[in-house]
Order: sequence, then structure tokens, then C-alpha cells
Amino acid sequence: MTGLPEPAAEVSLGLFDHDQLAACISCGFCLPVCPTYALTRDERSSPRGRITLMRAVESGRLPVDDPTVREQSSYCLGCRACEPVCPAGVEYGALLEQWRDVTWSGARTPPVAAGLRLGVRMTPALAAAGKVRGAARTTGRASGKGVQLMLGCVERSLFPGVSRAVTRLLPGIEIPSGQGCCGALHAHSGGSGEGHRLAKSMGEALPGTILTTAGGCAAHLVNVLGRERVRELSEYLVDVWASDDAAPELAPVMVGGRRARVALQDSCHLRNGLGVTAQPRDLIVRAADYVELPSAGTCCGGAGTYALLRPRDAAAVVAPKLDEIAELDLDYLVVVNPVCQRQLVTTLRRRKSRTKVLHLAELLALALPP
Amino acid sequence: MTTSPAPAAGLAPAILAELRAIVGDTRVLTSDGDVEPFSRDATPLFRARPDAVVLPSTTAQVSAVLALATRTGTPVVPRGGGSNLAAATVPERGGIVLVLTRMTAVKEVSADELLAVVEPGVTTAELACAAAAIGLLYPPDPGSKTVSTVGGNVATCAGGLRGLKYGVTRNYVLGLEVVLPTGEVIRTGGRLWKDVAGYDLTRLLTGSEGTLGVITEVTVGLLPMPETSNTGVAYFDSLADAGRAVTAIIAGGTLPATLEFLDRACIGAVEDFAHLGLDRDAGALLLFGDDGALRTVAESLDRMAEACTAHGARGIELARDVAGSEHLLAARRCSLPALSRLAPMTLLEDVTVPRPRIAEMVDSIEEIARRHDVVCATFGHAGDGNLHPTIVFDAGDLEARARAEAAFDDIFGRALDLDGTITGEHGVGAAKLRWLGRRLGEDQLALMRRIKTAFDPAGILNPGKLGS
Repeated sequence: MTGLPEPAAEVSLGLFDHDQLAACISCGFCLPVCPTYALTRDERSSPRGRITLMRAVESGRLPVDDPTVREQSSYCLGCRACEPVCPAGVEYGALLEQWRDVTWSGARTPPVAAGLRLGVRMTPALAAAGKVRGAARTTGRASGKGVQLMLGCVERSLFPGVSRAVTRLLPGIEIPSGQGCCGALHAHSGGSGEGHRLAKSMGEALPGTILTTAGGCAAHLVNVLGRERVRELSEYLVDVWASDDAAPELAPVMVGGRRARVALQDSCHLRNGLGVTAQPRDLIVRAADYVELPSAGTCCGGAGTYALLRPRDAAAVVAPKLDEIAELDLDYLVVVNPVCQRQLVTTLRRRKSRTKVLHLAELLALALPP
Repeated sequence: MTTSPAPAAGLAPAILAELRAIVGDTRVLTSDGDVEPFSRDATPLFRARPDAVVLPSTTAQVSAVLALATRTGTPVVPRGGGSNLAAATVPERGGIVLVLTRMTAVKEVSADELLAVVEPGVTTAELACAAAAIGLLYPPDPGSKTVSTVGGNVATCAGGLRGLKYGVTRNYVLGLEVVLPTGEVIRTGGRLWKDVAGYDLTRLLTGSEGTLGVITEVTVGLLPMPETSNTGVAYFDSLADAGRAVTAIIAGGTLPATLEFLDRACIGAVEDFAHLGLDRDAGALLLFGDDGALRTVAESLDRMAEACTAHGARGIELARDVAGSEHLLAARRCSLPALSRLAPMTLLEDVTVPRPRIAEMVDSIEEIARRHDVVCATFGHAGDGNLHPTIVFDAGDLEARARAEAAFDDIFGRALDLDGTITGEHGVGAAKLRWLGRRLGEDQLALMRRIKTAFDPAGILNPGKLGS
């Protein structure tokens, strides 16, 4: 005997993936990269502490409705910064989806999230809004299995310039009609079953390789449909432009007679879920003077529905980033996900910052010959 | 039995009211959900519910909490980053878990005096960064440095990857501000390397595992940052061969900064996470590194590479640059968590033997693992004779767990037979308490109890562990 405690008989309610929950050995390597732990220095608000809470729920020691359980499942940004640094390979993002399936189910769903989950399912309305706002026009029903652009649910009407820019970068790209929402929003806010079904439907509406301008959607679609079915814009452009003479001639984007100073804000799920970090930087360098934002890899606080549900916390998360942006005196901040775009446009405007936020596609389109 | 969790009797309302008056309402946690994350540290299997979690931010608050605890006989367990591997911060007797992670000020970093003064909740990596920013080195380098706090490092005398050349935490602690369990605030040592006024309480408190006092400020010595550093990897057929190379390296007059080894199972687990291109077919890997002036480092690495070759290394690679060297060391630091990829339950130990006996110890561990039919992966600080045999199994497999316990029993016994110790750097905590008598003898245990009583007459600080 080494003096281990008596084995305790534990129940398993089956709310979580048992192997994932068991994989965490509580080493704490995730603490220093967690934005909410950085703000609080409080174990409850760390990935390790949250997994301890999940385990207590799974074993019935804590009720699902425990206030701390509910609060911490909501306070988490879901940025998955804890995943790449986890030596044990815990898939925290998957655990968080399972957690919110419990804490945000049915009447427990925050009303804003419930409304959005419902709203983005109205495919004809999305199409109409996209048309009114001037997003790229669809090209009819999917013709086959080539590369097909996904317009996105929110992005289509919130940032219609993004898809228009893609059609300039990739003339002739197919944009199938009848596409709805990919379900990432649902998976991250308590409806993972719905999220999976929507991703499957998207896979049917776009039966080829799905090209997306949203890092968060890319990671979700990869989860459901597999890596080979999904390409995020930056990785796709780097690949196709690498071959023979496919790359267009780019002229540097100028501001006040000099090359623009441009930084990138990573998409958390693109970076932490899919490991895509080099490609967007590679592309910016071709069009401007690239400056690395020190916190580029840290969440901006947009985080799906987070900035809508918890505006004060989202503001606390983004504040140090806004200071960095001011310090670097950037012309443009480039994003690769619509939620980041919304969060940064809004918060920079509030600060009266001179830095403009652009999607990567929009910056590259500025560099195209007229 | 020290490990059965106390029933959650709860603290009297008057005590809770007083705690809230001291630190504020939001800094006293009592609900089941709020205290759950503080019921364990990084030690598997150990868990106990505290009655309350208190998060102070000043020394005065810590002092008031401890005075209250002594007056009311309430157990108090201090906690830093929660990366302890011996269940030293698990509140087995309930009471208060006193969390110091909110005391995070780096009060001073002085190039003139080569020292830093920090609050206990500063992480080891943050201290090292603050020192590096003005060209100084904080040498202690525990594997969990991004998580662990300086207060916790001092309380456990944390070791790490640079022990051979630079020593461990105790070699750098110049002075402490400590709150005694009875509430008095004392300052031991100070800013001087030379200071023999009185008993060396700084050293006594360093490694006292939160049983004698609560550390609220630490003054550490620093060194000038070496000009450069580099690391190489040598592959061997077995861990014992690597151990013999280590003995040869040091016998040859080189005292390098780093000599770490990993066996085949660890190489595989680390490679799965870090993708460094390590040779998975090798029986063992020796990481050898040094720092100093450019030429000195190059010569030192050459000499170590030669010694490895002479002792059967089947391949040697040097890191291309400092970044490559950092990648190798980072990979080594994650060995333990990476091992959980083999099976979800990882029980690791921390036996340490005199360096020349390391090959013998490694052979014994392999023999013991075979005899008890357990999967045991071993890594460790070869240069310090400090080994981390890690047994992995499925948490639900109670037979495997019993075999693991029996194997560790034999491993501890063998380490003591070789003039070694039961723990080199992780501490005794709750997990190794029953072995302490065999290591120290009854007279020393009795003296430790008397020391404990002198500091902590009411027996409130981390009760049931060291000195109880």
C-alpha cells in the first residue's frame, strides 16, 4: 500500500464522453492560456476547474442546476485555447458542447441563444436578407463535387462584402442555393444534436468541398463531416495560388502613400481546433506590412453568442487587445471569422479607434488589380 | 488512515461571518459547486471537500484568517497553483482552503542586488520572465512552472530540470514573509546571501508543505542570464545505459545544466503530443544541455556527446538553436500528462538515489514492474538521480490498482536500500506519509512533531500531514 484512498464507488450519469472526461489528469497546463483564468486567477474559471465540475455533475455529486456549474459553463468562452497545450490531448471543446447540452437545454437556454438558434434556421429568410444586403449571388443548385462557397448565416447579411470579395478573388466560384446555417452556433450553445443535423444538411446542399470564410464554421463542419470535406478560405487560397500561375498579381494596399500596417486576429477555432495559423499570415504579407498582434491567438470575446449574452465579460476579455491595437497604430486589423469581425468592429468603434476591421478576403480584394 | 475525507460538518455561521468580514463576501466560497474545484490538486484519487474556500489578497487578511482559525480550531490548507503531486493541498480534515493565487504582485526585480521580491501567487514562469526582462535568471525550473506559484514552490522546495548545476528552490530563497498559524507576521532571512543571525527558519519553512506557516512574500536570489544555452538528444538501447552515460559525463568533470532521461514509453507519449521527430524505436533518450558562454556551451555539449557515444549511444542530435532547445525541454516537461495518453490513470512516484546507483535503480524498477505485472513508464532528472516511475492503468481496474500499489511499495523499499529517498521534489503530502517513518526514523519524526507544535500549537495548518 502506498496509502492511496479507499476506492470510491462512483456512478456515471452518461452526460459526458467518459474517455474524454477521464483523460484529464488535472496537471493545470491549461491554466496560463485560459482567458477567464487570466482575468480571475480563480480555479473555478479555469479549464481544469471546469472539468472538475463536469466530473462532479457526471458522478451525481453536483446537480446540473448547481449555480456554479451553470455559471461556469456560461462564463467559459469556448475558445479551446486549452486544447493545443494539453499534453493529455483532452478535447475540451467537445466536453463543453456536452456540458452546455445539459446546462442550456430546454427552458435553461439563455433567451438570446434560443432566439438565434431558431432564427438562423430560417433558410429562405437568410437568403432574402443576404440579397437585400448585397452578399454574393448564389449560382443555382449544386452542380457536383467541386469547391463550393458557403455564405454563412450571420455573415451573409452582417458582412455581405466578404462573399463579394471572395467572388473577386476566385472568379467563377460556385455558390449553391438553398444553403442554410452550418449549426456551429447550435453546437456551441446547448444544441449539439441540432448542430450536427444542420452540418449534415449543409453537407448535402454543398456536396463538394465546402469553402468557408468563417473559422468557427470550418471547425464545426470538420467535426461532423470530416477534414477532407472542408476548406477554410486562407488554407484554400494558399494552396490554389501556390500552383503554377493561379495566383493573381497583388499590389500592396496603400494608406497615406505607404504600405498599410496590418495585423491579424486569429479565429480561435481555426487556430485551436484546426491548427491553421500560418496561412492567413502568409496571405497578408503579400498585400501589406504584417505586424503580429501579441494577443493574436487569444480570444477577442466575440466567441459565438458570448458578446451578446455577457457583454461585460466580453468587454473585459477584449480590453487588453484593444490597448495593443492602439499601441501598434494599425491601419487594418484582419479577421477570419464573422463573430470576431462583429466584436472588433463594435469595440473599436466604441473606442473611436482609427483602425479598420476587414475580413481577410476583403483585404486581399483591395490588393487585386482594378 | 489519513485519507478518508472528513464529513462536511460545515463551519459555524459565526466563523463564516468573520471570514467574510475579513476578506469580503465574494472571497469566501461555501457552496458545493464553488468549493468542488478546490477539493483536489494534480494528484489522482485524492479528493476531499473543504468547508470553505477563502481567497485573500493581503498579508493582513491572511493573518486575520489564521488567528481566527487558531482561535476556533479550524483546519487551514494553503494552496497555490494546485499542481501538487502528493495531495499536499487536499483538505482531508475539511476546514478552509486558503487560496493565494490572487496575491500576484512582482514587487521588485533588482539588477544591482540580483534579487526579486514577489507575492506568493506569482507563477514560477512569471517570475522567470520578470527576471529575464532585465537580463537575469531565476534558475529553479520545475516542470509545472507555467502553473505552479512561487509560494507553492517554496512550500514544497520544488526541483526541476536545472537541479544538477543550479540546485533547487531552497538554494535561491533569501527571505520570507510568513504568517504563523497564530496570526503573527514574521520575516525570516532578508536580502542577504550571508546572514547567520539565528536558526535558519527560511530553510525550515522551505519544503514545510504548508504545515508551519503561510508564505505571503518571497525574496529570491537571481543570477546573470547566461549568454546562451543548447540542448542535445542521445538515444540508447535502455534507460540503464543512459544512466551509465550520465555517471560518466559527471565523472568526466562536466557539470551541465540539464541531464534528463525518458524511456521508450515516455518517448512515444511525448512524441504523440509534441511531434518533434523523436526516435520512437530507441529504448531510452537522454536530454543533455548546458548554458554559459558560447564556446563553453559548445565544448560542454561536445564532451557530453562523446561520453554518450562511448557508452553505447546509438544516435545523437543537437538542437539547431535556442528555440529548438526550448522545444526539447518543453517536451520533457510535459512527460507526465502526455503519459495519460497510454491509460487514464497515471500514478507517478519520485524516488531519488545517489547518481552512481541510477542504473541499478532503473533495472530494479523494470524488474519490479515485470514481477507485479504493471505498465510502468519512467522518466526523470537523471543528473539528480531523481526518477519518476509512472504506472498507468484503467481507473476502474481495482486489481491493476492493487498491483500498482504493491509495485510502488517495492520501488520505495529498493530506493531506501540504495541510500535513496522516497521523494526528491514532489513532497510527502498525504500520499507518501506512511513511508516517512522508514525514511527518517522515529526520533526525527518526534522532533518534527515538536517543531510543528512550536509553530502551530492548535494544529490547524494542513493537519494530518507533515509533523502531525
